[in-house]
Formats: sequence, C-alpha cells, structure tokens
Amino acid sequence: MSKPYGFFYALIILFLFICPPALLAIEADSSHIAETEDHHFNYFLNSEKRGERLFKGLTRIKTDLTACVSCHNIDYIDTLNWNPSATDISKTFADKSIAEFKAVLMDPLGKKMEASHVGYSYSDEELGYIKAYLSQLKQETIYTTKPKINNILVFVFFGVLITMALIDLVFTKKIKYKLIPILIFAFAFGYQINMLADGAMALGRKQNYQPAQPIKFSHKIHATDNKIDCRYCHTTADESKSAGIPHVNLCMNCHVIVREGTNSGRFEINKIHAAIENNTSVEWVRIHQLPDHVFFSHAQHANVGKRECQECHGLVEEMHVIKQVEDLSMGWCLDCHDKTAVDFQANGYYSSGFKNLQEELATGLKDTVRVTDIGGRECARCHY
Amino acid sequence: MKKHWKSLAERKNGSDTPEKQSLPKGNLEQILDIFDNGNEKTQSNRRDFLKLCGYSLAIGTVLASCENSVQKAIPYLIKPEEITPGKANYYASSYVNGSEYCSILIKTREGRPIKIEGNDLSSVTYGGTSARVQASILELYDTSRYKNPSKDEQKISWEELDQDILQQLNHLKENNESAVLLTPTIYSPSTKAVINSFLISFPNVNWVQYDNRSATACIKANELCFGKAGICDYRFDYADLIVSFDADFLGNWLMPVEHIRQYTKKRKLSDGNTSMSRHIQFESRMSLTGSNADYRIPVKPSEQAMLVAQLYNEILKLKGIESYSISVASDDIRELAKNLWENRGKSLVVAGENDVNLQILINAINYELENYGTSLRIDKQILTKQAIDSDMEQLLSDLTTGKTKALISYGVNPVYDYFKGEDFGRAIKKLSFSVSLDMAPNETSTLFKYIAPDNHFIESWNDLEPKTSRYSLMQPGIRPLFDTRQFQTSLLAWSGQETDYLQFIKKHWEEELYPLQTSYPNFTSFWNNSLQQGVFEAQTKSVFDTKFKLNGLGELIDTIANTPKSSGFELQVYESVAMGDGKMANNPWIQELPDPVTKICWDNYLTVSPKQAEEMDLETGDLVALNSGVKLPVYVLPGQAYNTVAVALGYGRTNCGVVGKNVGVNVSKLSRLKNNCRVDFSTGIEISKTEEKYELAMTQTHHSMEGRAIVREASLGDYLNDPAAGNEANHAYENAGIYKKPNFPNHHWGLVVDLNSCVGCGACSIACQAENNVPVVGKKEVIRAHEMAWIRIDRYFSGTDFNPSVTFQPVMCQHCDNAPCENVCPVAATTHSSEGLNQMAYNRCIGTRYCGNNCPYKVRRFNWFDYTKADSIPNNLHDVAEMTIDLKRMVLNPDVTVRAKGVIEKCSMCVQRIQEGKLNAKIDGRKLRDGEIKTACQQACPSGAIIFGDLNDKDSQIAKETLSKRNYHLLEEIHTLPSVSYLTKIRNTKTNNS
Repeated sequence: MSKPYGFFYALIILFLFICPPALLAIEADSSHIAETEDHHFNYFLNSEKRGERLFKGLTRIKTDLTACVSCHNIDYIDTLNWNPSATDISKTFADKSIAEFKAVLMDPLGKKMEASHVGYSYSDEELGYIKAYLSQLKQETIYTTKPKINNILVFVFFGVLITMALIDLVFTKKIKYKLIPILIFAFAFGYQINMLADGAMALGRKQNYQPAQPIKFSHKIHATDNKIDCRYCHTTADESKSAGIPHVNLCMNCHVIVREGTNSGRFEINKIHAAIENNTSVEWVRIHQLPDHVFFSHAQHANVGKRECQECHGLVEEMHVIKQVEDLSMGWCLDCHDKTAVDFQANGYYSSGFKNLQEELATGLKDTVRVTDIGGRECARCHY
Repeated sequence: MKKHWKSLAERKNGSDTPEKQSLPKGNLEQILDIFDNGNEKTQSNRRDFLKLCGYSLAIGTVLASCENSVQKAIPYLIKPEEITPGKANYYASSYVNGSEYCSILIKTREGRPIKIEGNDLSSVTYGGTSARVQASILELYDTSRYKNPSKDEQKISWEELDQDILQQLNHLKENNESAVLLTPTIYSPSTKAVINSFLISFPNVNWVQYDNRSATACIKANELCFGKAGICDYRFDYADLIVSFDADFLGNWLMPVEHIRQYTKKRKLSDGNTSMSRHIQFESRMSLTGSNADYRIPVKPSEQAMLVAQLYNEILKLKGIESYSISVASDDIRELAKNLWENRGKSLVVAGENDVNLQILINAINYELENYGTSLRIDKQILTKQAIDSDMEQLLSDLTTGKTKALISYGVNPVYDYFKGEDFGRAIKKLSFSVSLDMAPNETSTLFKYIAPDNHFIESWNDLEPKTSRYSLMQPGIRPLFDTRQFQTSLLAWSGQETDYLQFIKKHWEEELYPLQTSYPNFTSFWNNSLQQGVFEAQTKSVFDTKFKLNGLGELIDTIANTPKSSGFELQVYESVAMGDGKMANNPWIQELPDPVTKICWDNYLTVSPKQAEEMDLETGDLVALNSGVKLPVYVLPGQAYNTVAVALGYGRTNCGVVGKNVGVNVSKLSRLKNNCRVDFSTGIEISKTEEKYELAMTQTHHSMEGRAIVREASLGDYLNDPAAGNEANHAYENAGIYKKPNFPNHHWGLVVDLNSCVGCGACSIACQAENNVPVVGKKEVIRAHEMAWIRIDRYFSGTDFNPSVTFQPVMCQHCDNAPCENVCPVAATTHSSEGLNQMAYNRCIGTRYCGNNCPYKVRRFNWFDYTKADSIPNNLHDVAEMTIDLKRMVLNPDVTVRAKGVIEKCSMCVQRIQEGKLNAKIDGRKLRDGEIKTACQQACPSGAIIFGDLNDKDSQIAKETLSKRNYHLLEEIHTLPSVSYLTKIRNTKTNNS
C-alpha cells in the first residue's frame, strides 16, 4: 500500500522546511557577484567601474605595484587585516577632497604607510574614479555570522538515518536483526535532540563572539606590549556595576602624542582624533552582555571579591580582537560561586557579621567560607 | 482476505463499486492527504501534518536563523567628571507646582532623572514628600509637553517669537494700553526681581497672581487683626490640642508635607514618649485629616461659622471677658472650649474655609488662647499662597470690558479651574495679543496666540522662599529635553536684559542673602554649599508684636448669628489628596493612585452620606444629576455629614495629554464668590437620581476586617495603663509551628509600620511605583482588580456609618519566613533568601498564579499584559499610560527588571537598594550602618511611619520597634512569620474605642 510513500513525502516536506534558510544563506553570499551582465554596455564609460578596475589592479598597463585590493579588502573577512578595508577608506574620505585623498595616498605621513605606498602615482582623474568606486561600495555590516550549514547538514543527515531506520523497521525489513535499526534510530534521534537542546541553550549567549570593531583596537598591544593596567581605561570597575568602556577623551591621554600604531599605522588612531574633532561617538560592538534581568556588579567582583579580570574575560591581554571567552551562562556563574572562597577576615563587612560562620571557621568546623555559604546562590542576589 | 464491513451501506457499495466523483483536490488538501491510504483510521493526519510542520520549523529556527542582534556600546566622548556609569547622582533641588513646594533630591542615572527623593536637610519638609512630588518626575517625560515656541499653532523660532512679542509689547507701551501678566503666587525672590524689572520696562503691564484655591481669607484676616497680611506659620508639633474646622491640613491645605510631619511628630509614641496631641475635626466630608482625627464631628459647611462663634464666646466666658449674646452653645462646644482653655498656649485652632469673618474669629480664638508665638506665628509666614481672589475678578471684568488688551500667562489654567472659566476663555479669545508660557497645553494656553513654553522644573534654575527666611534652590537634573526656555529667561529677554537666569539668581543671592549669614567666608563657597544642600536657612531675629488690633467683633458675630440656617443639600468641592488641582491630570501614576478614603481612582464622584443614600435610594455607582447640570456618579461614604455632598476638583480636563483627557467631570464652576472670596461650598443643591449606572474603579471594595484584628488599636489611656493594649495577642503564635523557625546568619531585613504615624497620604505608593517600575493598568483593569501597586494602603471603617473611625494600613509583601507562596510555586520562582527576603525571580516565573492565590495578604500582582514594552510581542501590549513610548520609558529605573506579560511581581523590599547598600559597606570594608539603606516607601514618607532595617542588628531602630509591646504581625494566627510588622494605632480618645 501507500504507507511507505507517506514517509517519503514526509521526508520531502522535512527538506522543504529545512532547506530554505540554508539556500538563502548560500544565495546571500553569491548575490553581489551576478550583476555585471546587464550593465555591460556602460562598462567602460562608468567611472565607478574604472575605479573598480584601478582598485583591483585590472589595468592594461602592467605594473609591479600590488593592487590596492591586496591590502584593502573589499568584502567582509573573518581574519584580522590591520590595513583599513575599502569601505573604511571610503567612509573616512567621503567628505574629503581629491587633493587630500591624493596627499594621503601618495605622500603619506605615517612610516608604515610610507613604506607600503612607495611608487604609487595616480592622476587626479584616476583618484576620482577610485573614490567614486569606493563610495558606492555597500556599507559593510560590522558583524556577519557565517551560516551554520554544517549543523544543518548534520541534522538532516541524522533525519535521513532516522527515516531509513524506521522504513526498514516497519516496512522493508531488510536488516535481519531488528536491534540494529532500533539502535540507529535511538542514536540518531538522541543526537538530534541533543543538537536542539544545545542550540536552544545557546540562544542569547555569545560564547566566542568576536565581531569586527569600528576601530581595530588591540588589547594585546595596549595591555601586553605597553603594559597598561586594565583599570587605567576601565576606570569604574572598582566602584560601579559597569567597568566602563573608556570615553574617547581618555584615549587621548596617550594618543594625543602616540599618533601612529605599530600595525595599523595612522588610520585607526586617526579615528579617535576624528571623533573628538567632529564630536561624534565611537560605536563599539558590545560583546559581554548579560540579559536585562541580571544585575551584575563589577565593584562586587573586582573590588570586594578581588577577582582578576581574566577569570571572566579570558586572556584579553593576548587578544588583538576582543572576544567573549566564557558563555556567561547562569550555570557558569554559579559554578564559580560554589567554588570561590570569601576572604572572610580581611573585609570588615564580613568580619563584623556572620557570627555562626565565624565560629565554625574558628573552631575548624569549616576551613573556608564559599560564596554559596553566604547566599551566593540566591535568586535576588542577581535578579530583581 | 476477509473483508469486514461496518454498515449495510458499506457492504452494499463495497469496493467493487465505481469510484465516487469528487472535485479535484487543492494543494493544501493534497498535502493534508499525505498519509491517507484510503483507510478511515487515518483521519487524524491533519494533526500529524502540524506536528511535522512544528518539528521542522523548530529545527529551522534553532539551527539556521538564531542570530543575536548586534548591540552597540557607546561610551561618552568626553565623560563628565561627576558621572560614573552605573551609579546614581543626586542633585538637591526643589519641587514647585503652583503653591505646592517640596525640597527634593533628583536622582539621575547617566544624566537621566529617574526618581525624586526628599531632602533631609530642609527644615520645611524634612525629607518628606507627597504623592504628587514623587509623580512629578513623570511629568518631565510627558509626551504632551510643548516642544517648541509657536505662533497660532505654527512652529517658530525663539528669535522670531522674541521679535514679535517685543514689537507687540512696545506697541502696547506706546499706546499706553493695559496688559496683564498672570502668574500663580510667585515666592521665588529672584523671579520676583525678574518680574519687577519686566514691569519697569513695561509700566503698562499689571501683575496679577492667581491661586485657584487661594488663602485670601487668611491673608486678609491677619491683615485686619494684626496689621500684617499673610499666612501664619502653623506649628502642629507645638500643639497638644488641635481643633480644625474643615482645614484638610494633612491633605491639601497649605503645606501638607510639612504639616504631616509636624502632626505625626507630636503623635509618635516610640522612645518612651507618653503623650500625644489630641485632634478634633469639624467637617462635612470625610477628608484625610478628618479620618486621622481622634474626634470627628460631621457638620454642614454653612454651620461652621456659628460653631466657631460659639466656641469663641465660650472661651471669652472662661477667660472672664465680656462675651457676646448668641445662641447657647452645645455641651460639646463648651467642653471643647474648656479643653482649649486648659491647653492655652499649646493648642491650635485652624479653619479651612475661605471666609474672612471666620478666619478673624479663628485668629481671635488663637489670640485669646495665647497660641501666637508658640503653635502659630504671624512674623514667620507661609509664602506659597499670596493671591487675592478679587484681583482675578477684576482681571476678568477688565478682560471682558476690553480694558485689558493683552495677557501674558504663566503656570495658571483659569479657563479650567476658575469658577467663571468659560467667561475667561471667551475673553482670552477676543484678545489681539496673548502669550502663554506654560509647559504643557491646557484649557487656557491653547487659546493663546503665542506659546513660549517653559521648562519643566527639573530642567530649570530657580530659588524659592516658601516660608519666611527659608530659602531653597532649584537646580536642573537634565538639560531641557525640548526647545523650551525658562519663564524667567523669557521675561528677561523681553525686558531687554542679560538672559542668563542662573547668573541673575547668583547676583541676587550675593546681594540679598549672602550678607544674612556668617558661616561662609566668600560668596562662592556660600553658593556652592547652598546649592549642594538645596536649602539655605537664614537665622533672622524678627521682632513683631503680635497684638490683636481689630475691634468690632460684635458686629461680625452678629452677622454670623443672623445668617439664616440653610436647609437642604450643601455641596462642597475639594481637592483630592491624589489629584490636587488637576495640573497633574495627565500623569498616569496620579490618576491610578486611589483616594485614601474612598479608594477610588481614575474618576471623581459625589460622596453621599449613607443615611441620605438610603433615603434617596442611592447606591455607589448610581449616576445623579445636580441642578447645575453636572452629572456625577455617587459614592456612599460613611462619615459624610447628612444633607451634604462633596466632589473633587481636578478632574474633567479636556485639554491635556491622552492620559488625563476627559477623566471625570470638571466641577470648578460649582465654587462661588462670597465677600470677595472664593468659597467651596454652596447651598440649595438639588440632586436627582438618573437611571444610569456608572462604574467606578475601586482598589478596595471590602471595608470590614471580618472580625480579625488586622488593624489593632487602643486609646491613649488604655495604652498608658498597658502598652500592649489592643495587642493582647502580641506574637502569641510565634512558636506555633511544628518546624524550627528559620535562622538568618547575617541580616534579617524587616519593616515596621507605625500605624500611629501613617496618615494614609499615599506618597509611599507612588515612590514605590517610580522606584520599582510598577506599571499603570488603567481604569478598566483596576475594575477587574488587576492593579499592580506593590504597596497599597488599606482603609478600614469602624464604629457607626454616621461617624466611623478610620484606620489606614499600608500593606506590602510581608516577606514571611514561613511563606505560603513559596511552597506552592511549581518552578521555584519565589524562594526565601538567607537574609529573610521573599525573592521573586521574574525570569523563572511561568505565571501559574498559585502564589498569588495562596498569599493571605493579597500582595502579589500578576502582569495580565505587557504594560511597559518589556517584550517584543505587540499583541501583549496594553498601554494606557504611554509607557511604551521611548520618551516616557526614560523614567524607568535601570536597576529593576521591567516585567513582561505573564509573570507575578510583588514588593522586593527594594532589594536593589539593599544590594547597593551592602556593596557600599563591603567596598569600605565596614559594618552596614543602621538607617543607611532606606526603602523607597520609607524615603518618601513624610511622617516616618515606615522603618526599614536589620532585625538581627540588636542596636537598630527596627529591632527596638519590634520589641515594642505595640508590635504585631498581620494575621499572626496563620503563622506565616512575616518580616513586616505593625505598631498599634493609638487614638487620643477618652474611652476605650476597641
């Protein structure tokens, strides 16, 4: 009868529901490639197209100079490129004149740029084309996730396994030992459930989140190479809930003098100066973020609890691009609350209260008081 | 294979019959048929299909499309030195709303004002606040505010406006045509100087002050009696016996915040205090003051003058002075006179009626009782009400006759609240030149040609002198949100002066106030300190010989005696404790604050005595028509004097934002003018019942304690005999449980509410609302008992319908150590902390409401909707308070979760403040000090009725109060072991009232 077909249809529908997101994701990747044909007629008249050819080094006259694009990426890349991206350049020079653009490009101030821009010489006209090309580049989103196609494929694969196992178990019965399809079914289904549960739990969490930031600020260079203390910039960690993202004027404490970076040259540091001059704010992409119903205090942890920044934020001083190391889940919080000992004697607040615990400590009934012993697992410590 | 059949028909048709003709199947039907193998058993495949859809959708969503939105973190470009992100700043300032004054602190977070607290340093308000003071923070973010200057409702720039207005003013000046500057009472020294300089620039402009409920009679009576116009400084804390004739001094009379404090200070019985004042109130409606009185005598408003005259006569008799011949006083009045005479020098007689003759008699009584210099002083004055009613009458006639050609109005709304408002409106419309300097549109300002919008007081600089030589500074907590300009700056601009009002104030203070003190060596330190403290109190010695100069009281008494007794209904209009004069009608917090006595919100209503209601077959909710054409719903109020009715002003606004528009009925026109004073009662009222019904939103519909000792009270005499009087069962059930009492290792937070101090004003309720992001639900939802208040004030009547005793009892989560709610939560969303708090984890709550049902105190509130845009599902929204608009959401406290739909919430004992207080102690490495943490309700309370603290700290105030014999828990017999306890109410009555 038609029962096996029913399952077959079911499988197709399953695919129909799964595939669109995956297909869309693939489409999005290739969308900007397939557009040239229609504009073929205007191709050589269009200044943007000329600019594009110049930028990509597709010129008729052969030169030994590397093309702009080899240092200044056009598309989003997930590796760190110290050089400004094409869109970054276009943003910076959007309101500037060709003369300024030319001056910076051909007669740069910074040592790094001076070294890499040797021999580049463009006419004003050509620079105009390049600028025109740059200005029409799509403003890149600061952060894009790559579609998780792998996960979907794995999920679908196990879905197929389940279907096959069931079909064999109920209808075709080709496998002699029924235990085998049952085992396959159990394993595949279990794996799928596990994937779903993991996915659901990760909702709203951003472990390993490492987006590109508006300024290529490297904690490694600041904290490790230049040995700047965390609290020099994150000034309020000891007194407030928020550790504080340094206000731009604070950067200027050093950068009023330090005008050129080791890796990024002048371009990134200039952004700070531009912000101050134009009275615009720097819009960092927020990484460590707790849900709205969680009230976390840096003062409690960094000052009172004497925790090191790295315990929660990882080895930030080794990161060129800041990244969330821990998942910042409640289980992770409580794990630490369970394990961490409270410095019970040194702080007058603790030593003046908690009589029972003090006694237990004195008589040796307890060797350490942990956060959980003084209410570190209670809801209203963090949720109110 | 055997073929089975179910029916004869099936058997007959069989499978060999030709196939039934059917319509071709549509796409959906085809999909629905996927499992159909012709067997009837598979009819449920629709459900299978849906399961499949759901399954695949879940996969699709979880695996492919869940991406966190990108959040920005934007630091300051240049961080202001005083701002620490995550920490609040407090700025001392002053609250001003017409004649209401309060010294306050503005709490700001990251530059955003979010809360108002009382300023402890003020010797006028002593850190107390009122409900309206607390709610005024929301006015700052009112969406209806004027956002730019305008001309004929067209937006113009300030330069254009100034140019236009100067041209018009000069034109008037040249033609010597009269113009009027209309303001409420100005008690700011600098503003007065600004106005004076404006008047010098334009001598054709007259300045008229208008208070919608003025104290004209008081001012005039004092002028006539003592030769010094103004309102006395009343000192209720100096009076052992207070007699009030319809003066609602705890509600809305002169300075309620100050008077509540003075009144309750004299009535506190803690710290071994064994005496308290006795308070006797004569009034027709049950006012807040009357409901707190030890004795309350319901009288008609028109009868008061006679009673006062008799009282005066009796006192004269006792003093042995020649008395007047008027009708014989009742025994009660004679007794009262005797008591007053015994307490001479430490008694206080006040009257609320705006009647010069009455006020003269009151002055005479106080004079004969030698109270001047102790419980009231004429040399120190309350300066917040200086307007004279006849000025307004004159202005109206000048406007109508065309004598006054132009009107500049600021901060008043006569079209709405003057009893001849309609005439006023017509006259304004005829004017060729009119400027309004109001902050938000109202019935009056919308008739004006030019709008030069004023700042909110939180955006303004100002100085104030609410009482003689008690100075107070107002400093902004934020830059103006809109393109508005302070009233004073506008006037300065038009009189052609430097427009920096702050410099003007500074200059004024340097010249006038700096010489009054000796503590500060230079002006800068004087100014900075005054600004930081918010107040400056000059120690001036005044020599004023209080001598009663008026002769001819006989005539006056004759007039009173000869006034024919009115029969029939008398109607009194009054300002309700919550709404006041109606300026805050667009404030949803105020709208939803129930009246302390009637417990009704979102409406005004006619209060009728129970006897009258019975006679006229009226019940609460009936709509009645007055002969003046006003239709009002009835509320049957125990204690309302027979043959009187009363209705609140401040409702029925027709031109404000969306919240307050057309809520209730405007009854301003029911006032009248008598002897050039606006009086609030009128005689000859006729009431006719209509067939219509009207639904009133009441937060308390049940008024009985059902025989349980919920409020415990005793008379002072009984209390002095036995401090546990009325509280004999004091903690009797403490050890009734079979489980061990829980032990709290460090802190055990608790609250003590002194019922003897609580007057029921409701400031705590609004403070809690502001602090804890408690939503407003609207009238319909209140009717369905869905209001969200975390702290409510229960009101109980006892005694007779005719003249009941009233008790107020603030009820918040009792934080039971044996909490019934905690046991029934299926998801452990509400648990007990090791510090004695009953914790509520909103993100854990799934909304079964078991806890709410199991709570014996009914303090748990359920979010039936999303009132504050906490989640992103538009269909969940229910927004009567505009709290989903970003501008208004700026008032939300960032330290408290904004609750979404479907969760229970309740008082957390301000756990965010507890956590903050503990953290501060930890950072300093010290023990937490008693009184360091204050809950929002405690901070707001003008009477100090709420005490928060650590019950484990034996030296704390709360631990002492807990040991008091007056201390009891609510519903002790059910053994919930609350952390909140109450102190019995003691009435200074002679007999045992319990």
